[in-house]
Amino acid sequence: MLLAALLALALQQPITSEAPSIMGALTQETVEIREDFAGTELVLYGATRGLTIQDEIVVVLRGPEQDLRVMRKTRSFGIWINGSAREFQAVPRYYAIASSRPLEEIANEAALVRNRIGLDHLLTRPGETPIAEMLEYRKAVERAGAREALYASAPRGVEVLDGGLFRATLALPPSTPVGNYTAEVYLFRDGRPVASRSTSLRVEKAGLERLIYEFAHGLPMVYGLFCVVLAMLAGWAGAAIFARR
Amino acid sequence: MQIYLPIAELSVNIFLLLGLGAGVGFLSGMFGVGGGFLMTPLLIFIGVPPAVAVSTEANQIVASSASGALAHWRRRSLDPKMGLLLLAGGSAGSIFGVQLFTFLRGLGQIDLIISLCYVGFLGTIGGLMMYESARTIMRSRQPEARREGGMGKRKKRGWIDTLPFKMRFPRSGLYISVIPPIAIGFFVGTLAAIMGVGGGFVMVPAMIYILRMPTNVVVGTSLFQILFVTALTTFLQATQNQTVDIVLAMLLTVGGVIGAQFGARAGRHVKAEELRALLAAMVLAVCLKLGWDLVVTPADMFEVLPVGMEGE
Repeated sequence: MLLAALLALALQQPITSEAPSIMGALTQETVEIREDFAGTELVLYGATRGLTIQDEIVVVLRGPEQDLRVMRKTRSFGIWINGSAREFQAVPRYYAIASSRPLEEIANEAALVRNRIGLDHLLTRPGETPIAEMLEYRKAVERAGAREALYASAPRGVEVLDGGLFRATLALPPSTPVGNYTAEVYLFRDGRPVASRSTSLRVEKAGLERLIYEFAHGLPMVYGLFCVVLAMLAGWAGAAIFARR
Repeated sequence: MQIYLPIAELSVNIFLLLGLGAGVGFLSGMFGVGGGFLMTPLLIFIGVPPAVAVSTEANQIVASSASGALAHWRRRSLDPKMGLLLLAGGSAGSIFGVQLFTFLRGLGQIDLIISLCYVGFLGTIGGLMMYESARTIMRSRQPEARREGGMGKRKKRGWIDTLPFKMRFPRSGLYISVIPPIAIGFFVGTLAAIMGVGGGFVMVPAMIYILRMPTNVVVGTSLFQILFVTALTTFLQATQNQTVDIVLAMLLTVGGVIGAQFGARAGRHVKAEELRALLAAMVLAVCLKLGWDLVVTPADMFEVLPVGMEGE
């Protein structure tokens, strides 16, 4: 259905060169985290108009933001403790990027920084010159994200199909945070983005997960009492069942 | 079969959790300890955030100590008066501990403090227990050299006797100051909140060696205090930090209740001092593992932490 719509759009693409445009859509608008959630995959479909052979496509999915504190471990009295800290504001908790060719071949550094595209530019503020020391802290954030598969990059993850259509598969790991996500699609020509579009995605807890989470956060006192009473009942029931044997 | 834990925000195999519960339950049934000191590090090891592991384990200990405390209450092998005093101290300790926990979490040092507490306490208690049980085993091998210091020991009282506010404890047959029980209770309550343990491994020796309570009421009274202190800790952690994962707690409890029954049966076939030596070895092993992790060069020289409490 979605594919058909995109196909229709692609077919009315005129042969003559016109202003390039791009659009994209995700197979789902909401991802629900239920009891059995163990990660999922999303497919981003898109279509372009005026795509030429030199053009490249970049797809970015970024998650809700969070402030981070990165601490360097230092050894004192023989044990490793968290030492000097740097803080980063508004870092996406999830960031996946896919492109039709490796990013460095598509665009120059400046264009990527300006649009905050790419894992390397996640923590760079426009107009900021990174200091060598800061770079280490930034790398640590990238490593931490990559460890949980929350940061991912697929240098050839965008598959360009016939007729200006394209497709990319994005993985959401089990630790995917809930919140609002944005998917961005960029059309790069001569190292610069000439067209872009964004669409949104919501990741939310559903069913029992949502119920428990909202209970714990909405009525923390009642939830606490509930946990205690349930545990006491469980202990009592366990003893009673086994005492009868 | 994977299950997503709503508060820990983690997808874990359901059988792994049931198995962990059963395994630790078996050991705790066998040795008569809560098992929190094993479970909390294990939970952290499988990826549960330390804050959630500590709070959830407190909740599980409520379940495991409830059945034990109930049995001792029926058998009257529990000193309610002493229990209430320990509990008064324990409640204050728990409230203090949860505040301290929140504060340390804000500083980004909670993992370190939890590990240090574990290494310190497990090392001390495990070492003492190992020493004591090794000595008992040695002695039991040479039966002629029988030595019962019972009478002499009872009279030899130290600084505890000099403290004011004395009170009578008929069930324990004691007449002592209320300060030591309250202080011990406070200390154990704080540990419960920070380490996610019941604190039986600290309280039982303290009751025997410091308060000199008769051994037949020690375990029951300790369970009584643990039950209410962990209940309070669960409530406070749930209210203040929203870190109690009920799904995780229940899965561990189901495994734990079953494991404990089999453990208790298995324990009857082993001699008490050998059981203590085994327990000491286990305690020391956990201590060494955690100590090693503190000393060994970390795989990543940086730690990335969210600023403030985890929001939505």
